[in-house]
Amino acid sequence: MKLLRIFLLLSVAALAFYLLLPNDEKKIRKNLDSLAEYCSSPSEETAIPALKKVMLAGKLCSDPCHVQIESFDINHNFSKKEFTDHILMLKKMTLDTRFSFHDTSIEFPMDGKADIVSTVRLDGETKGSRFTDAYELNIQAIKTDGNWLFSSFIVVEFMEK
Amino acid sequence: MATSNPLRKFLFPALTRNYLKRLIFLGLGTYIFFSHVLIPLRIQGHSMDPTYRDGSFAFCSRQQYLFSEIERFDVVTIRFSGHNVMLLKRVIALAGDTLEFREGTLYINGEQVEEPYVQHHSSWNLPVRKIKPGFVYVVGDNRGTSMARHKFGQVRIDRIIGGVIF
Repeated sequence: MKLLRIFLLLSVAALAFYLLLPNDEKKIRKNLDSLAEYCSSPSEETAIPALKKVMLAGKLCSDPCHVQIESFDINHNFSKKEFTDHILMLKKMTLDTRFSFHDTSIEFPMDGKADIVSTVRLDGETKGSRFTDAYELNIQAIKTDGNWLFSSFIVVEFMEK
Repeated sequence: MATSNPLRKFLFPALTRNYLKRLIFLGLGTYIFFSHVLIPLRIQGHSMDPTYRDGSFAFCSRQQYLFSEIERFDVVTIRFSGHNVMLLKRVIALAGDTLEFREGTLYINGEQVEEPYVQHHSSWNLPVRKIKPGFVYVVGDNRGTSMARHKFGQVRIDRIIGGVIF
């Protein structure tokens, strides 16, 4: 019984240590959550907070930032200005929509570079009815001055009509 | 009281080694069962209306295609980057088949196919295409939306997580 207690105590201590220890993976996950929050548009959001959020979203991305969405014929390096303008446009188009990232896996192919695979989910309301949509994303992030910045977003289109 | 002892024991068990072992095995067993054998699904969206309605529940059986092939008209789950967010679609054509929609009517290998599960008929027109080896063609039961807004098409078999039951 004493041995079991020690084992349980050590397990809890190891878990707490892992959860509290900051590392690159956690920083990237936190940035993804922040990006999702900044792109989301609560119904009561007014223009100034929306602009502020767009600026904060821009700060999480490199300049330029590559975006590729084959089905929309987008394959382009966006400057920070272009990028924030597009986020603002996206927020206007998706009023009362919540973004969230799921099933995120992160690999570090080399120092200062991260390859992220994630699913972005959109939950919103349009014309009085709820809608849900999801896209798989390949994201790249680079470490600049100690901060992880997203440098590329590619929508994985695995379904071919 | 003699009658309250078993109830008391059941509700407030002593933290013995055996009890903790049972608790750990039960927790692990439940986790493995519901993440690798039968994944609970909460349906969100209208793509599979009316077969699976928005807000309803179902289970994804991961073992369904371990010993059998995917068959036409099976309802399957398709993964994105993991198992927490998945698409629910119906397989309507298999590798090597040709598929076509004419005014909303499905044609497989040139023959008209009845789709009793479709309630919202469409006027979709999709030219003939052949399904590539290693792929299946999936579509939602709700054809009430425009083709542009509906997610459907050829998908690699290894993207399919399992079949849907209940």
